[in-house]
Amino acid sequence: MTTRLIDEVLFDDGDPPRLAGARCSGCGTVVFPRQDSCPKCSDGAMSAHVLPVSGRVWSWTLQAFAPKPPYRPPSGGHRPYHVGYVDLGEVLVEALLAVPRAEIRIGLPVRLTTVPAYRDEDGTEVVTFAFRPDLDGER
Amino acid sequence: MSGTDEVYVVGCGMHPFGRDESVTGMDMAERAIREALADAGVAWEDIGYAAGGSDVSGKPDTLVGRLGLTGVPFVNVQNGCATGASTVLAVANALRAGEASLGLAVGFDKHERGAFHVSAARYGLGDWYAETGMMLTTQFFALKTQRYLYEHGISERALAMVAARAFRNGSDHPLAWRRKPLTEQEILDSAEVSPPLTQYMFCSPGQGAAALVLARGDRAFDLCEQPVRLASLAFRTRRFGSFEVFSPWLPPGPHHSPSVDAAEAAFRGAGVRPADVQVAQLQDTDSGSELIHLAETGLCGHGEQEELLSAGETDPTGRIPVNTDGGCLACGEPVGASGLRQFHEVVRQLQGRAPGVQVPGAPRVGFTHVYGAPGISACSVLTV
Repeated sequence: MTTRLIDEVLFDDGDPPRLAGARCSGCGTVVFPRQDSCPKCSDGAMSAHVLPVSGRVWSWTLQAFAPKPPYRPPSGGHRPYHVGYVDLGEVLVEALLAVPRAEIRIGLPVRLTTVPAYRDEDGTEVVTFAFRPDLDGER
Repeated sequence: MSGTDEVYVVGCGMHPFGRDESVTGMDMAERAIREALADAGVAWEDIGYAAGGSDVSGKPDTLVGRLGLTGVPFVNVQNGCATGASTVLAVANALRAGEASLGLAVGFDKHERGAFHVSAARYGLGDWYAETGMMLTTQFFALKTQRYLYEHGISERALAMVAARAFRNGSDHPLAWRRKPLTEQEILDSAEVSPPLTQYMFCSPGQGAAALVLARGDRAFDLCEQPVRLASLAFRTRRFGSFEVFSPWLPPGPHHSPSVDAAEAAFRGAGVRPADVQVAQLQDTDSGSELIHLAETGLCGHGEQEELLSAGETDPTGRIPVNTDGGCLACGEPVGASGLRQFHEVVRQLQGRAPGVQVPGAPRVGFTHVYGAPGISACSVLTV
């Protein structure tokens, strides 16, 4: 089965892929996804910046009901899923959280992963980024 | 205090909020305007400047076809949740600038059922953001509330107290939509939407209209026995670091809300303190939003909300009555109309003729606050 990333602009070229943001040379602001101008200062130039792969849950919630289109559910249909912001130090990134309800909490150490998002009409599995519990992060 | 620089509300009107398939957004707007004109004892021909706002229900200036083709300047506003406040600002500034002595502000909307439709491209985001199920306003409010409760040690019961008070107030208000009181437990036990928020902690898109007639100080006291002074009105957009809807990333913080800026400017402009406010309307898209806005506007400190709610201090008989008409939770959220609904309620409270529960003791200082996407807020101080 073939797979593809949901949008290559979100990722670097690595394997496994990491999140690709941008950093301002003027004020150090880190953004995700990358953009060409700094939202904080007008001085700096933005350059590609790979984000850290581990952090902690900053806030979380559950998506209980199936969103309307353009949401595309996974091949098995919508099942409630967690979303949240992950504190990566230099930036907070909003992401799906592949974390069971019993474990999810603010402060939980998490690590970047990929999860199936939906399937293209030709059967290609489309994957997106998410964060899962990071067992090493508790040390 | 009746000079030409001062602006007063001299009439107000409102179409009941809720669901009514027999009327359009324009129908409701027309009714609210006619009621406001009658309340002020003036005719449409007397209006020298008008502004109207609607998110989805038509071009407000076309209302002149129903009201009379007088040639009046009529500005259309589309400013999300700040639409109503923007219409009032446009009219007030025109009156102060001497363009007219009498003006009219109207807001209306009629939305489809269910969560608002959103488009990733319209917010400058890639399709992936909506396709992966992250582009929902309900999620944003839940994430913001979850973090806020954590940072300030507030329990989920406080969220239920906000909603219970909203439905209690709504049940007494003839223009509200949700007229059935609910217990805190019923609210906590309702369907989980996005924790910590349940179904009854969220407002629903709905329909409604409200209108105000405003007059310059040299006319106000001739037209109205109890004109209400627009002591200040401040509108702000977000600055860097605010925590807003549809944000794939946030800076590490601290996160600074446009509500803080708008409230500070409104209080400064009016020369009153938050502690002087005797009746307040706060944006309560959901219970968590009201909790956060209580503190962001300065009406209480961060983390003090639960104690305030438990003690009944935000009830109509409390120290700082909040959302005496039930707010968005009980009235629903027709985006273009809600801001003017807030003005309608505060004006009627300050005039001692509230449609629902009247705040006792003849309140003299009122406050309104709206907040919405993508990081806008408007606050006003009204006095008698």
